[in-house]
Amino acid sequence: MVLFRMDRQHRILLVLILLIIVLLILTGMWIDGPRKVLTGFLDLQLHPARLINDFIEIRGTGAALLNGAIVGLIGLILVLINGVSLSGPTYAAIFTMIGFGLFGKTPLNIAPILFGVFLAGRYVRKKFSQYILIALYGTALGPLVSTLAFEIGLPYPAALMLAAAGGLAVGFLLPSIAVAMLHMHQGYNLYNIGLSCGFLGLFAASVIRAGGHTYSAALQWHSGNPLYLVLLVPVLSLLLIAAGFLEEKGKALRDFVSIQKLPGRLPSDFMEMQSVGGALINSGVIGLLGSVYIFMIGADFSGPIIGGLFTIIGFAAFGTHLRNSWSVLLGVFSSTLLFGMSPSSPGPALAAIFGTTLSPLAGQFGPVIGFIAGFIHLIMVSFTGPWHGAMNLYNNGFAGGLTATLIVAVIQWYNSTKAEL
Amino acid sequence: MRRREYLVHLISALSDYILSDNPTRMVISLHQEEDGLHLSIMDDNEHSDEEIEKIEKDLNSDKRPELAGYYGAMTGQDLLGNSRLDLLGWQVKHSDVSRIDKGIKIDLWVGGERFQSSRFNIPDKK
Repeated sequence: MVLFRMDRQHRILLVLILLIIVLLILTGMWIDGPRKVLTGFLDLQLHPARLINDFIEIRGTGAALLNGAIVGLIGLILVLINGVSLSGPTYAAIFTMIGFGLFGKTPLNIAPILFGVFLAGRYVRKKFSQYILIALYGTALGPLVSTLAFEIGLPYPAALMLAAAGGLAVGFLLPSIAVAMLHMHQGYNLYNIGLSCGFLGLFAASVIRAGGHTYSAALQWHSGNPLYLVLLVPVLSLLLIAAGFLEEKGKALRDFVSIQKLPGRLPSDFMEMQSVGGALINSGVIGLLGSVYIFMIGADFSGPIIGGLFTIIGFAAFGTHLRNSWSVLLGVFSSTLLFGMSPSSPGPALAAIFGTTLSPLAGQFGPVIGFIAGFIHLIMVSFTGPWHGAMNLYNNGFAGGLTATLIVAVIQWYNSTKAEL
Repeated sequence: MRRREYLVHLISALSDYILSDNPTRMVISLHQEEDGLHLSIMDDNEHSDEEIEKIEKDLNSDKRPELAGYYGAMTGQDLLGNSRLDLLGWQVKHSDVSRIDKGIKIDLWVGGERFQSSRFNIPDKK
């Protein structure tokens, strides 16, 4: 029913996203075989999910791809049944869910959070469609559910109930926190839910610590770059570029150029502001260039890296483009070198990709501000993980939100004081 | 959000936009009923046809509940950067922009599910 009410643009996006989900599943089955993929997928539901648990390393590429595809499919189904349009924000949300399904989100650990947001909406008489973006992105705290269920050592019935309650609670609180956090950075941090989940995660992690649990560091990271992992995102990116040209032909290229002029501040739906074709080309270009960067620095195409590339592909329809991201990336890279870190190690490599959460700062205030933002971001993200017990998957969004808030506060003070003079 | 707070944000968002051009005069008018309101704002600045077209487009964009319910909370409160009328556009029933003597008049009609347009003078587009 929803399908017939869609216009052409939305049907094209629906077909494209479904095609990508199916191709991911088929690719996974082809790499590892159906039996290993299915048993691996089931095992992942019961596995700890805090940062950094690379599902490719834990149960193989096939199981990780199936998990990511199903998590993304859940997001897509929720968008459709709630009558929400497929456009920049929902496109970004679904790609983000697919990406993080490679290293943290599972259908099991996101369910209580989604339901919690739903309950929050019912409580204040808002439809779920009004909170759907908060719900989809809020699944970043899926590891909290997994931690309560599988890491703190309670017997299973109690652990599962506690996990469900914890997920419901954070989901219920998310809408209020998400709106409050928006005011802090005024839309200059794209991953606002990352900041919100980090904020909530501070409290959740503290409560769990107060209960006597000690967090152990988790670093499961897939090394070695088989060709199918290296080519996964570039092939997807080329598909998106082709789709963009097919949709709007020459106009798509002009719209892609026009997108580069937009600041990208939340909420900037590039598909509405320009066109679906232009935004798809932007997505593909961002995906290609992100892949080239990872290849050139010699980093691993691991679950988190591929997940990160999926995320920036999504946000290339909702805030990120070349002109507003290069200076942020340069800032992250410079900071990495200055502090003696290797650009190819997990933290800096992920910071380079996800640091583009600060693209709107560069888009609005110029590349110098973008560079400074990226520079500070790398420092912050290196330390913020333990603050929330590594339970907030969008740790870069959390660090980015803090960085954006600092910069926005300074600029706002300067602008208002200068005006008085 | 309580109606009073919402009104403050609406007026703030529109005022911010008009004031960014430093008008000599700005007039705000409000008509409230139980299920809706009509807000009107006028200035005396020159506005090009392209700008008026853009204002109309931003204020009459497709309704986006997923954006209005979340990012709409920034309406009237994000004062760093360019004014963004599209944040309003997702939340209003109808809007109109017209040239007056020396400037423009922006009319907004905002209401809930029981909004009765007959109580307000929404232009009949034939």
